[in-house]
Amino acid sequence: MSKEAKQSILGLAMVLPSFAILLIVVIIPIVQSFVMSLSNGEGGYDLSRYAYLFTDKGMRSNIIFTLRITAITCVLVLLVSYSLAIYMRFNQGPVVDLIRKTYMIPLFIPGVIATYGLINLLGNHGWLARMLEVIGVELPRIIFDEKGIIIANLWFNIPFTTMLLSSALSAIPSSVIESAKDVGVGRFTLFLKFILPLSYKTFMVAVTFVFMGVIGSFTAPFLIGANSPQMLGVSMQQVFSVFQEREQAAAIAFFSFLLCSVLGAFYIRSMTVEEKGKV
Amino acid sequence: MRLKKKSWLTLLSVAGVSMSLLAGCGNGSSGENATAAAEGSGAAASGEPTSFNFYFTGSQNVKDLWDSLEPMFEEQHPEIDVKMVYIPSGTGAEPTYDRIMAAKQAGKGSGGIDLYEDSITTVAQGTKDGVWTQLSDSDIPNLSKVDANVMKDVDNYAIPYRSSAVVLAYDSSKISNPPTMLDELIDWIKANPEQFAYNDPSTGGSGSSFVQTIVYKDLPEEDIHNSDPSVMEKWEAGFNTLKEIGPFTYGEGIYPKKNQGTLDLLMNGEVSLIPAWSDMVLQQLNEGLLPDSIKMQQITPGFNGGPTYLMVNQESDKKEAVNTFLDFVLSPEAQAVVVDKMNGFPGIELSNMSQDMQDKFAGVSEGFRTFNIGDLGTEINKRWQSDVAAQ
Repeated sequence: MSKEAKQSILGLAMVLPSFAILLIVVIIPIVQSFVMSLSNGEGGYDLSRYAYLFTDKGMRSNIIFTLRITAITCVLVLLVSYSLAIYMRFNQGPVVDLIRKTYMIPLFIPGVIATYGLINLLGNHGWLARMLEVIGVELPRIIFDEKGIIIANLWFNIPFTTMLLSSALSAIPSSVIESAKDVGVGRFTLFLKFILPLSYKTFMVAVTFVFMGVIGSFTAPFLIGANSPQMLGVSMQQVFSVFQEREQAAAIAFFSFLLCSVLGAFYIRSMTVEEKGKV
Repeated sequence: MRLKKKSWLTLLSVAGVSMSLLAGCGNGSSGENATAAAEGSGAAASGEPTSFNFYFTGSQNVKDLWDSLEPMFEEQHPEIDVKMVYIPSGTGAEPTYDRIMAAKQAGKGSGGIDLYEDSITTVAQGTKDGVWTQLSDSDIPNLSKVDANVMKDVDNYAIPYRSSAVVLAYDSSKISNPPTMLDELIDWIKANPEQFAYNDPSTGGSGSSFVQTIVYKDLPEEDIHNSDPSVMEKWEAGFNTLKEIGPFTYGEGIYPKKNQGTLDLLMNGEVSLIPAWSDMVLQQLNEGLLPDSIKMQQITPGFNGGPTYLMVNQESDKKEAVNTFLDFVLSPEAQAVVVDKMNGFPGIELSNMSQDMQDKFAGVSEGFRTFNIGDLGTEINKRWQSDVAAQ
């Protein structure tokens, strides 16, 4: 056997297990739920379940609500994480050490516990409200409101995103930055022309992760969110196990998969364009 | 060369990890097979106790109850071994029913589930699908002690072995005269904005009981035992009332999740009146979680009291042992444990219980009604979500 053939077999063999898992836990269920979502309950197949998503007032506001929460969270998470990562990359000192040691703590706290912690902290009569009461500040409603969901999402997403971006930034050679500084490039231009382009790829990865994580989130929106509008995950659970309309739940699931795949397609395209550019 | 070695190592580890992942997926079914095999051998060897599987679901207090009832039973009947499988509430009650159904459809017998405990929804579902056994006094003598009307509601397909009722729980330091009539309650809610809360009806029985009681407020009494979809046309007035009181409830229309959600609000003083399960209130008062100032009040017409049912799988081949167990569960001594452990109402009629017990429930047990509206309960939740929550 030629060396190339051997190598391509090896390559296939390495891809196969992960592909098998992907097939079993992702692709087949998606196809199944798509087929299920098309059945209209009277034996026929049509798009009535999808029409319901956009004609029902409650459902429509759920979708808009989910997209809004996701967009706000993505922007806030990336702002905070990017600034944290840049700060940690280009500064030294005890503050940086402290941030570096502590920013991952939220990753190690189980979601339900963190959510209950947030409820106790930010609730109507929570610690924060009681502390602020002393100086006469009244908190707006945070828990059972979209503010609560966004805060919880920040808590869950900032550590991982910061970790991703930090590693991308540390891959930028200091020599590049220093030589740019030597020829007198300002801070803003340095960021725009060097740091951003060099970490752009990871930035896209981070956007994708945060987007998909938030759009499918369940625990925090279930416990903190208002009764209506709901995030799609909460609504899906309700339709599936409370109303027991499996086909409708499948339609919501497939719709949120479509939302994610739009971003996924965008992400993959930008990656392949870059790869081709390299070749 | 070195590189090649390394890539083989990576390949091996990748394969190893995915193998273990796949093995993890398969674990559930292999575990089942093992128990099934163990059962088979147990039945084959004569002289061994007959064992059957009892699946139940609920909060920790339900588990505590069965943990004390099971040894009592096995002491009296050493020839029967009850294998209890506890499924914490919210984690897998539906899959349990799905397993029973799947085993029946596949012609695989009982699927290893002989006896199952759940609420009226599952009873109705299973009756429709034909998976439960019809029970009779001749097999289970103590069944005669259960209220005949309640048995008629479920066509003898299930045993209501305990019940708890939804009551109003209120903070007596803030309210001296709690409402006692349903109309008074509605007026009270409007007169005291943001002092009342009920939980999202799809997440817990106390909220759902409040919603159902309001929806059926002006409907004839027989409608609460009617699961025919035609009743749905009469819901309009009830839902209008719910919409009307929405802005007067906690947070101008915030409905916490789960039964505990409203109890938490009552606990930290954010509201002063809620519908709640009597057993949860009593238990949390005993444990000091709720302040002593919390008191209970039943209203007229009463809230939904929910029996919890035991159902026998029609495909079970151990019905005799199961019936002996059920007879024990309905005996006054076992029912006394239900009352002590769960603060619940006994499943058998009070006249069969000791005088102490009868005194304890004087005046309260008449207070609740049993709603048996089958699938309409789900319809109410659906309509509540679109009409009331999203108003």
